[in-house]
Formats: sequence, C-alpha cells, structure tokens
Amino acid sequence: MSDAPIIVCRGVGKRYGRQWVLRDVDLEVRPGELLGIIGPGGHGKSVLLRLMAGLVQADEGSVTVRGKDLAVVDNFELAAVRREFGYLFQNYALFDFMNVADNVAFPLRQEGGIPEEDIAVRVRARLEQVGLGHALDRFPNQLSGGMKKRVGMARATIATPRIVLYDDPSAGLDPVTSSKIFLLVKTMHHSEPGVASVVVSHDIDRMKVICDRYVMIYEGRVLFNGPESAIAEADPLVGQFFFGAVAAKTLRP
Amino acid sequence: MKPLANAISAITASVGASALNIAETIGGASLLLARIIRALFPPRVDSDEVWRNLYNVGVKSYPIVVMTALFVGAIMVIQTAFYVQKTGATGLIGYGVGFSVFAEIGPILIGLMFSGRVGANNTAELGTMVVTEQVDALRALAIDPLPYLVVPRFLAMMGMLTLLMVLGDLFAIVGAALTAQLLVDLHWRVLLADLLQSHLLDEFTMGIVKAACFGVSISCISCYFGLSVRGGATGVGRAVNNSVVSNATAIFVIDFAVGYLYSL
Amino acid sequence: MNSSAENFFEAVGTPVVEVSRAWGSLMGCGFRTLRSIVMAPIAWREVIHQAYLIGNRSVPFITVTLGFLGLISVYQVAMQIQQIIPDFSMLGAAFLQIMIREFAPTITGLMIATRVGSGIAAEIGSMTVTEQVDALRMCNADPIVYLIVPRALACTVMVLMLSIYAVLVATIAGMLIANAVFDINYRTFLSVQLVSTDDVIVGSLKALAYGFSIPVIAGNAGLTATGGSEGVGWATTRAVVNTSFAVVVLDFFLSIVGHILFSH
Repeated sequence: MSDAPIIVCRGVGKRYGRQWVLRDVDLEVRPGELLGIIGPGGHGKSVLLRLMAGLVQADEGSVTVRGKDLAVVDNFELAAVRREFGYLFQNYALFDFMNVADNVAFPLRQEGGIPEEDIAVRVRARLEQVGLGHALDRFPNQLSGGMKKRVGMARATIATPRIVLYDDPSAGLDPVTSSKIFLLVKTMHHSEPGVASVVVSHDIDRMKVICDRYVMIYEGRVLFNGPESAIAEADPLVGQFFFGAVAAKTLRP
Repeated sequence: MKPLANAISAITASVGASALNIAETIGGASLLLARIIRALFPPRVDSDEVWRNLYNVGVKSYPIVVMTALFVGAIMVIQTAFYVQKTGATGLIGYGVGFSVFAEIGPILIGLMFSGRVGANNTAELGTMVVTEQVDALRALAIDPLPYLVVPRFLAMMGMLTLLMVLGDLFAIVGAALTAQLLVDLHWRVLLADLLQSHLLDEFTMGIVKAACFGVSISCISCYFGLSVRGGATGVGRAVNNSVVSNATAIFVIDFAVGYLYSL
Repeated sequence: MNSSAENFFEAVGTPVVEVSRAWGSLMGCGFRTLRSIVMAPIAWREVIHQAYLIGNRSVPFITVTLGFLGLISVYQVAMQIQQIIPDFSMLGAAFLQIMIREFAPTITGLMIATRVGSGIAAEIGSMTVTEQVDALRMCNADPIVYLIVPRALACTVMVLMLSIYAVLVATIAGMLIANAVFDINYRTFLSVQLVSTDDVIVGSLKALAYGFSIPVIAGNAGLTATGGSEGVGWATTRAVVNTSFAVVVLDFFLSIVGHILFSH
C-alpha cells in the first residue's frame, strides 16, 4: 500500500449539457489493491470509470495515470497509457464480427510484434483459465451472457495490463453466474502481483467478498472512501446502502 | 461440372430468395394500403393524431425540401446552360429547366429526400415502438394500431408531400433564377419570362400527382417495415435500411408509371 | 427581462453551436480519414470485403432504379420532341452526354447514399452503443482507421464502378424504349458525338467525391450515436438525410467547377 498511486483523480467533474454527473471527485488507485466503486444506478459510477480510461474527458479537475495528465497527453502517450489498461465493458462489447479466439487475441495483435504461435498459445491458456477452452471458434451471438462476460474478461486481461477496470461485471446475470464472475475477478486480480483492479457495481454482497477498499459515489460526489471497517463512522447513507438497506427511503432514485 | 452446378444452384437460390423478399414487401405494403383505405370509408380516424402528424411531418421535412429544391433548380440551370451554349439554342433554357424540374428531377429528388427524412424517421419511430412493446401495449388497451398509428401518418405524408412539392417547385425556380443571374450571365427576368411562356402546366400537375403517389408509397412502405421489425437493437437499423431502399425503388417505378400514364 | 433575453440568446445560440459542432466533428472525421489513408497501413483484405458488400447488393438496386430512369427520361423527352420537330437524330447523343455528366453519377450516388449510407450508420451505430467502439479505442485501434478507412476506400471505387454500370443500364433501357415506342434505330440512338473528355472527367469526379463522402458522413453519424437501440435508429435516419443532401450539394459545386473549367 505504500507504493505511489497509479491513478489520481483531483477535483474531477463531468457534465452533459447543464447537468453535472460528477463533481469534485478526489480518488487514488494504488498498485495491488482491489477497489470497489459502489452507489445507486445512474449516479455517475460508469462515467468515473470511463474518465479513468480516458474514453471521456473531464470538464474540470484532472485525471493522471502514472503521472501523465490524460487531458494533455498526445496520441502516442495515450496509446502507451492505454496499454496499461484492461477494460471489461458493461455490455460485453465483444466484436460481433470476430469469433471468440480472435476477440481475445485482438489486444495482442494490436500491440504488434508478437508471433502468431505465441498469441494462439496465450489465448488458449487464458480462455481455459476462464473455463471457455471449448468455445474458441464460436461467435459472440452464440454465447450466453455469462460466457460473453468471461470472454470479455479474458480479452481485458490477455495483454497483462497493470490496471483492470470492470464495469458492472454482474449486469444482467443470474445470482449464481454473478458469484462465479466475481470470484473470477478475484482470481484474475491475484494472478499477477501489483495489478490494480477497479470494480464498479451495486452488487454489495458479492463485492464484500473480494474488495479491499470502497468508494461510494452518490449524486455525483464521493460520499465515502475507505475500507469496510470505516463505514460505521461514515454518513448513515453509506451504512444503509452497504448493509442491505431495508430503510433505504433516503436513497433518492 | 460439380462446381458449376453448385454455382448455378447458389445463384438460383439467391435470385429466388430476393424475389420472395420483393414479393413479400410489395404484398405487405399493398395489404397495408388496402386496410388503410378500408379504414377511411367510413372514416375511423383520430383527427387530433392527424393534425399532430401533419405538423410533425411538415416541420421535419420542409427545410430539407426547400434546400434540395434550391439546389435542384441551380443544378438544372448549370446543366441546361452548358447544353444550350454548346448547341446555341438560347431560347430553350427556361423551357429546359422548367420541364426537367417540374416533371422529372424535382419530384424524384424531393421524393428521395422526403423518404430519407420522414420515411426513415417513421420506420425508426414505429420500429422502436414495436421493439419496446408499446404497440403490444396499445393492443392490450384495445386500441387498434392501424387507425391510431398508421392512418394519420398516411394522411399526413400524402398531404404534406403534395404541398411540399408545390413549395419545392417554387424554390427550384428561385434557385434557378439566382444561379442564372450569378453564374451563367443570364438575367433572371429572361429566365422567368421564358419559363412562364413555356406552357408547362401539364408538367407541373404531373409533378404534383407524382408527389401524391410518392406520399402514398412512402407512408405504406415505411409503416410496413416499422411495424414488422424483429430482433431488438439491430432490427431497427436494418428495418430503416430496408425501408429507404424499397422506397427509393418504388419512387423510380412510380415515376415511370405516372409519366407513362400521363402521356396516354 | 434579463432572463427573457437570456432565453432568446439560448434559443438562437443552441442550434448554431450544435450545427457548428456537428460540422466540426464531420470535417475532423473526413480529415482524419484522408490522413489515415495516406499515413496508416491499409487493411486491403477488409477493403476488398467491403467493396464486395457495397457492390454486391447494389447491382440489382441500381439496375432497377437507373433502368426506370433511362426509360422515363427518354420517353418524356421524345414525347416533347415529337410535338415540336419530329427529329430524333440528336436524342441519343444528348441523352448519353447528360447521363455521363450528371445523372448516372448523381442518381447512383443518391442510391448508394440511401442503401450503403444507412447500412454503414446502422452497423457502426450499433457497435457504438454496445461499446465495441470504446473497446477498439482501449485496444489502441483507432475506429477511423479500423472502421471508416476501409469503407471509404471501397465505396469510392465502387461508386465509380457503379456509375459506369449505371450509364450502361440507363442507355440500354433508353435505347429499348426509343426503339419500341418511337422507332428510333439502335445505331442512331447509340451515338457518342456529343460526349467529350470533359464530360467523362466531370462525371468521374462527381462519382469519386460522392463515394468518399458517403461513408465518412454515415460513419460519423454511427460513431456519434448515443443511447441504446433508439440511438441506432436515429443515427441511421440522420445518415440517410445527410448523405443524400451531401450528394446534392456536391453535385451543385462540382457542376459549377465543370461549368467554369470546360464551358468555352
């Protein structure tokens, strides 16, 4: 935990039209930690993840990855920064014109200079790790939701990224599959030392099993930032959200 | 011999499949037209919906129709001027522009633009309603989608495209006059005088009739594709694609049919 | 008073800002496509695949639409000539010239704008809303290089090819109706005496310009799609209107260029 933070957000704000979806967000992600971003739907969690990856630009404040401000980097530096990232998208985002093996191999092929035989070996190994060694030749529209998620995870982690962002890994999945996916997140996180993982979800029960630290985003602001043990001293909203909020009437939609 | 036989059977299969597709589209759209006409006698139409649709269709499409008409007039002046300069028949420029714009190019281009703006939009709108189960919700409330959704759109598109054609002819003349004055050294009064002396009333009315027919075909085809959307997100995009392609084909076929019938 | 003034400026300013932002994004997309064609390695296999997709289903579509265009234009012009001076000797020559210079590329461009433009927007739009475009970005694959460049190259070549084919189809259709209805000899009709290199140059320039701008405009509409399955529908609609209108505007400007360069 003493390492320098790999992602730093300082006073980050993002708006669409006149509506601010994020405001004054201060956040650090350190190597080796598994950070959970929680909060009700539509309160800016996914936008925060996209800001960290440089997919959208902040309207105020700054996002720096390894000391490089994403607002001012040129294309080559941005490419270098993105090589550090793996991203699991909410809607899987598998390329529907490629089969599973080509989807997973895509980040490696984009890196360039890796021989095809090595790519094939690594792709097969990674797909077997997520339990899909039998589905290399299938196309995304022939897979179930859970299988697509696992292909997405294999693609996000194939190029040994230092930071992996998971956008709602359990969206649209049944409870059993969700649990499996979260355990897979944990396995992936610990398979390589020093990797930072950020998971966005509102599936608290499954997050509790795997995360080291939590950030709660509420109405576009950081309401809580710390480990589970610190929730007792925090805003009562956090406790309600975290410990099965039967009395969640204060959580406005 | 085997590959040749395979190729022949593949070609026959694809020709047959597309023939079936075309027959299905024509059949579906005609059936829809028949049901619309039956709903009009006696009229079972939601008149509020008709007015709302007239407004929507008009507001959506008049800027593109006006802009297209200006450019069509301008382009035809440039083409005719080029031709007239080559052959030396200067007296024909007003006649040439008026004839081609009123009878042929005006209706086709304005029809295509209207199909792209209103027809495609209509397919996307109805398709989204089908995909999000809003049409089923109407049925569940015992509201027949035909008089509520389709007939008002049919009346609005037919009426508006006919009116817009008149507007388009007007703006085409403006575009032609401007271009004549500014680009081809022909005084706009000369062009207008020439145009007015050319006895183009028949061509003008033919253009309006064409526009009314395009209105019928665009509304039937776009509603047909919108209401028969299958398969979620990609389905709507595909339906819009099919709708504009069928509309464009129908425009050229109808254009020929009306032109031919008019000369008999 | 103050707030009403503010409302007024917002009402005027918002569309201006929106239009200039859309224009800027489109120009940026076109510029980056051009730069990538020159600088980045080109996936030729993908270009050929796209060319096949663009050409394959367009051939029947172009055959039907341009065939009917050839029929009706020869028919109507010949009817007019018959009333004035029954001399058909120049009809075919003039028809061929204006087809090459104006109508074959422009109507082909409009047809490709409707068919291919809407298809590209639907395809790239659904990739955008399902985050596949973001996934490309995260893998350092520029969506412009990866998605738009192959389509732009393929479409530029294919619109030129299809325009040549369109001249052929329209001429054959015109020749047939001229012979069947007006008894014009095939040899008399098929005359290139009015066609010059200028016409071929202007026609080809038009085809190339349409072919490049259609996938850029449609691809840009797809890349800027927002909000689920409805977003794809709206992006497709927007692409149809914008590409068709771009064809008309480009036709106007290239006609002016042709008029200035070759009118002596």
